Amino acid sequence: MSTIRELVIVGAGPAGMQAAIAAASAGVQVILIDSSPLPGGQYYKQLPRPFLSDNQDSHHEHAHQLFSHLANPHIEVMTETMVWGIFAGANAGTWQVATYGPTGCFGLETKKIILANGAYDRSISFPGWDLPGVITAGAALTMLKHQHFLPGKRILLSGSGPLQMAAAAWLIDSGAEVVAVLESSPNLIKHGIRYLPALTAQTARIREGLGYLRSFIKAKTNYKFGWSITSCSGAGQVQQATFAKLDSRGLPIPGTKETKEVDTVVLGYSLNPNTSLSRMVPCEMEFQHLRGGYVPRRNENFETSQPGIYAAGDCAGVGGAPLSEVEGRITGSAIAHQLGYLSIQEYDAIREKEAGSLAREKRFADVLGDLFSFTPDLSSMAGATIICRCEQISLAEIRAAIAMGAQTVTDIKNITRSGMGNCQGRTCATLIAGILAKETQRPIQAGGFLATRPPIHPVPLSALENYQYHEDSSVQVQRGSLE
Amino acid sequence: MRIENTPGHSTQLRRGKSIPVIINGEKVSAFEGELVSTVLHAEGIRTLHINPHSQREASLYCMMGVCYQCLVTIDGVRNMRACQTYIHDGMEIETETGESA
Repeated sequence: MSTIRELVIVGAGPAGMQAAIAAASAGVQVILIDSSPLPGGQYYKQLPRPFLSDNQDSHHEHAHQLFSHLANPHIEVMTETMVWGIFAGANAGTWQVATYGPTGCFGLETKKIILANGAYDRSISFPGWDLPGVITAGAALTMLKHQHFLPGKRILLSGSGPLQMAAAAWLIDSGAEVVAVLESSPNLIKHGIRYLPALTAQTARIREGLGYLRSFIKAKTNYKFGWSITSCSGAGQVQQATFAKLDSRGLPIPGTKETKEVDTVVLGYSLNPNTSLSRMVPCEMEFQHLRGGYVPRRNENFETSQPGIYAAGDCAGVGGAPLSEVEGRITGSAIAHQLGYLSIQEYDAIREKEAGSLAREKRFADVLGDLFSFTPDLSSMAGATIICRCEQISLAEIRAAIAMGAQTVTDIKNITRSGMGNCQGRTCATLIAGILAKETQRPIQAGGFLATRPPIHPVPLSALENYQYHEDSSVQVQRGSLE
Repeated sequence: MRIENTPGHSTQLRRGKSIPVIINGEKVSAFEGELVSTVLHAEGIRTLHINPHSQREASLYCMMGVCYQCLVTIDGVRNMRACQTYIHDGMEIETETGESA
């Protein structure tokens, strides 16, 4: 017997949780899926269940409010479950969401889907970036906040934007020796002043920034503006990091190089929207420079080009948690209206209520995108530098593919196998797009984006063999505590 | 390195109870709620996997299940992401750094 679900939400972070709460409070039956053991996503990541903390700050208070609203009879939370594909459903106008979790592989048929699977750290490549001990800012923050673990003792940070600022402050406060924080963006001071109005009504963010600033002043942190890491070296793990001052185009200035002994390097070059699912469906994509590149095109209700599939939060363009939450609430309400739970007047009233915060957060996201989407131009690095880690494809191999006539990232994938390993290009696709743009002297969007095929994450064949669709009994919904 | 307190953040933390896990045949003590990646790092093990194409070392990079550089063998199942797997009492963890990896 088949059950057609009303709404499946992929990702229980800020956008997914708010969408679930908004839709469920209007009466929609929601399934909220996340790959972690507990909801929260990266931003509201909860401590592991066996850990106990007395943390009571406002960030925690807000998170706990969200978790308590998830305990709604209309919301079923499926944790430790990954979504590896989206296909047309068996009935007209429905979709099938293919999952893999503790009880195996099964498909859920649903009328509506919200993609809310967030973003992940963007990489830069340079000789030695693949050495053990070189990690992303997101990785450092997860170790610190989720595991209460210090990734190293002597640490260099290089990156751009607030994520690396947060990572640096946490590392310092936790007792690491931060040898330097390199902010690569040359636009910070130059453009920063005219963006001051965008800070209106951003008191929480100002307070957060001032807190970090206090840590840097107290620790006399060597915070360098307009600098970037250029290479790392070491035997078996990173031991030295070399960095240089950048000119206005982002090129290292000869003669400014310095080298420091380190045991860890943290890279924080903003985020890539996670578009694996929207590209797989496929949804029509559009290039948004200020939001991290190609993202699904959406209408005013955040519906993609595929009827019934919506996208909210960072997976539709990096904009931060507050924007994701607003988008989540609007998307959940839009679907409640579509399914007949809210009248057009009720939906319009919700949109009107959210209009102010939506505009404010979009403005702030644009500012961050402009100030911090900068990456250094390290294209003079050695040809042996690995670009695609999974398949171990070097810069020289990618250049050779371009010399053969490759015009797009897909051409380069077809020629070199870059992006065909376990991570499916999540790490290297933006690097390769950058190399292609540089070599062919075209804008980065001219190189296009990689198509994705199911499964978007590896799934054991033994689990796929028992794939069940329409078998409700196989759905083991995690009804336990959400905290 | 495990942090016991977070100075400046005034937060006190208690880990889960101490449990044993086996890393490359050796018994070590860890805490419930820790990720496989945390325990390996705490034991000073940085190389988790050898890339089969180049024999280069691979290790933790993204900590959010995206990059697949932290693959290890857990309870006999190969190519598990260390950063996405929580330990349990008696878990057998093997780095994929030998001949067969």
